[in-house]
Amino acid sequence: MTTAAIDAWLEAPLRRFVRDSRVRFALLLEPNGQVLAQHGFTRAVDVMAACALAAAIHASADRLGEEVNGIPFRELYHAGAKRQMYLASLAIPSRSIVVLTVFDSDTSLGLVQLYMRALGDAVRTAAPALPPAARPALDANFEGELNRNLAILFGRAPAASVAPEASHPIA
Amino acid sequence: MRSPFEQQLTALVRQPGVLACLVVGESDGIIVDTVAQSGVDEHAVAALAASLFRRARLSARAAGLGAVGFLELEAECGHICATGRDELVLVALTELRAPLGRLRGSMLQLAETLA
Repeated sequence: MTTAAIDAWLEAPLRRFVRDSRVRFALLLEPNGQVLAQHGFTRAVDVMAACALAAAIHASADRLGEEVNGIPFRELYHAGAKRQMYLASLAIPSRSIVVLTVFDSDTSLGLVQLYMRALGDAVRTAAPALPPAARPALDANFEGELNRNLAILFGRAPAASVAPEASHPIA
Repeated sequence: MRSPFEQQLTALVRQPGVLACLVVGESDGIIVDTVAQSGVDEHAVAALAASLFRRARLSARAAGLGAVGFLELEAECGHICATGRDELVLVALTELRAPLGRLRGSMLQLAETLA
């Protein structure tokens, strides 16, 4: 299974998380749906769809949490017949990262939650210091960046080809 | 909210050298009820011990040994003991000095009521 990240600092924490938690699929994305890293997906179109859906679910849970709970819901779990889904949000300085995981009976929700906490710690440690930036939810060049990120994740473009100013928007 | 296990778990933790007792879902590793001394990472213990018990159960079955009655893991500074029934696992975390014979009897007795 392939693991790939747009930013190099995300790759090692994601690899460790996948190895320890034994999830089948993992997707790290910005709250606006921009992909940051992935494990297990073989097609760019699947990553694109999963990012869009995960961002929408996360936004809905955020808002619903504020309505009924006073603060956003940070975690969401669904159990299917064979596969289960766990969606969580990692808070790191000046931004947050949404993590979508899909797993089966090879692991458990408790283990995934346990190693998600470790992933959060690892990402917070590895993340470069970035100033908070007021940006719109969707950049004007969102689609271009998404296509470029998918090309990098699936080996159709080298990571170095991404100009620094075109890399991830900070939510 | 009180769980049906609270009283029995409290009695187990009162035994000498017992640091924590938990009832955990075997398939999801989530705590159903727990009584623990401070400093114990209950969620981590629950998730990992439930996984350990499940794999021990699968190993025993694959080896043709039947069901797992009691699992005891001896570590440098203590023990993890586990027994289970009907998708629930009873886990105890102890210091090295804990009298395991008495604890084992109490755990097996409590496990009979897990359902």
